[in-house]
Amino acid sequence: MNIDTSRRSFLKFLPLAAVFASIGGAAFRFLRPKLSAVTDAWLDVASVSELSGPQPISRKIVAEQITGWAITTEEHNVFVLPAKNNQVVSAICPHEGCEVAWEQNRNRFSCPCHESYFAADGSRISGPAQRGLDPLPARVQDGKLQVQYISKEQATRA
Amino acid sequence: MRSANDIRVWLQTTTGVVVVLLLVQFLTGVLLAFYYVPSVDHAYTTVSYIEKVVSSGSWIRSLHHYGSQWLTVFVFIHVIRLFWDRAYAANRIQWIAAILILGLVMAAGGTGYSLPWDARAFFSTRVAEGLMAGLPLAGQMARLWLLGGSEISGVTLSRFFALHVLVIPAVIGGVVVWRMFRTQIAELFGPRDAIVATLVFLVLALWALKYPAPFGPSVAEAGADYLPRPGAQFLWLYQSLKYIPGGLGSIVGVVLPGIVLAILVALPWLKRQRLIAGSLLGLGVVLVVIMTTVSYFSDRRDPRTAQQFARQAAAEEAWRRQPFNPATITLATTTTNVTGGAPVMYTKYCANCHGTQGQGAQQGPLKFPPLLNVSAKPRRSVDDIVSLLKDPTAYGLQPPMRSFSEKLTEEQMREIAEWIVKLRQD
Repeated sequence: MNIDTSRRSFLKFLPLAAVFASIGGAAFRFLRPKLSAVTDAWLDVASVSELSGPQPISRKIVAEQITGWAITTEEHNVFVLPAKNNQVVSAICPHEGCEVAWEQNRNRFSCPCHESYFAADGSRISGPAQRGLDPLPARVQDGKLQVQYISKEQATRA
Repeated sequence: MRSANDIRVWLQTTTGVVVVLLLVQFLTGVLLAFYYVPSVDHAYTTVSYIEKVVSSGSWIRSLHHYGSQWLTVFVFIHVIRLFWDRAYAANRIQWIAAILILGLVMAAGGTGYSLPWDARAFFSTRVAEGLMAGLPLAGQMARLWLLGGSEISGVTLSRFFALHVLVIPAVIGGVVVWRMFRTQIAELFGPRDAIVATLVFLVLALWALKYPAPFGPSVAEAGADYLPRPGAQFLWLYQSLKYIPGGLGSIVGVVLPGIVLAILVALPWLKRQRLIAGSLLGLGVVLVVIMTTVSYFSDRRDPRTAQQFARQAAAEEAWRRQPFNPATITLATTTTNVTGGAPVMYTKYCANCHGTQGQGAQQGPLKFPPLLNVSAKPRRSVDDIVSLLKDPTAYGLQPPMRSFSEKLTEEQMREIAEWIVKLRQD
């Protein structure tokens, strides 16, 4: 192969190389994920006076998160445990992040995805989950029980 | 005659340039689709997000914007070159493919225009609507089919989006593949083609780096004096519509170009090829060059128009310096019960710069001050903060901090101020 042909075959790829190198390099930066800003606001769960009895009480909290180009307001399920000094646990299963439901008649939380079970105090009974339901940071302010939201990503981290 | 021959050889390189520019449009288009949302309430926000927050976003969008204009120009030069070489007789497939791609590239430009859903897009969609409505016989039907209903709406945006990113690129891809399989030209990039195509891409890349793609005000914010102008490849049509009464615009803008393209596609089977194509392309070149030039100079000659364009350019420049303003999406069915957290209006207008909890933030080179312990400073009582929100310059603050007296009510400003004075650094 003489010099002229090798230069020619190099040149053949020059335009495509220029396009792919510059746009490809920018594509990596362009597509890089942006971590969402997690709110650490205190969110109302319930008035303390409403909370009593041996059963976990299902509640919804409303949390705001800045995700990409939007501020998203979303509901999340939590359970208040009056029998455990009003501890609040997240409904997010620590296994893969599905949402557990309270089974009144069997006195346990069950996860609909992979059959993890948790006792009324949130502790693990059986199944693939490695720990009990996660307690959320909680406080009482002006007679209201408040929590800080923990995302699924934080909750399922080992 | 060596130099004349040299020029002629370099003019053969248009195929490579068109291929490279098509590739740029495909690549940048795919990237933009990773963030863009084709809905009337989020299109504008997601394009702003691409422009302001996403790394290289402004460059990628500018490449796509100006690339579409360059592509039209180079496909047109390509057609002229093929005409010169009598390709309609010698290489029918190459000729027909070039004419089809010219039409498709214009269609892609026309549909792509609507997608940012800014004021420019709104007006261009209106013009497309009018051009369809003015078509003879089937005009009203064509308008309804284009809009997907009786008014411009989210359905219209989805239709333009589907045409722009699914239908037209697929057809262009089909034409390119068909042409590549059926022509004898095995080598797309000879050494000359490679040099020219690379140069064209590099100049476009630098151009897009220097000039971000235009982005008008949102439709709601555009004043009555807003002057929309189409992209370079449509200026001839825009200028012609000024001289043509009413419904005839559709004939000039849609029917005639369609007939011209159809005749050019059929050229390989026609007699008097040189005369027909020569006069059509000649008239086309004359019309496009004259109308584009007239439009360019008429916008610059009238001082009031020039002033309005200067105002619009300044407004766009100011918009670029302001931080990104995120959309608000509510997926909750219950009403908000947040306490101790920020007021909703703080989250909407202030949190993006000053942080969700007043902790401050950084966007690219811009740094925004935290608000924690701000009440310990002089002139930062609740009343002061309310006045400051109305007139930041009176408190010695610089842009991008701006007045919120048009965005927030007195009550909302007070709610924000009362929350801010309670912020403490632990």
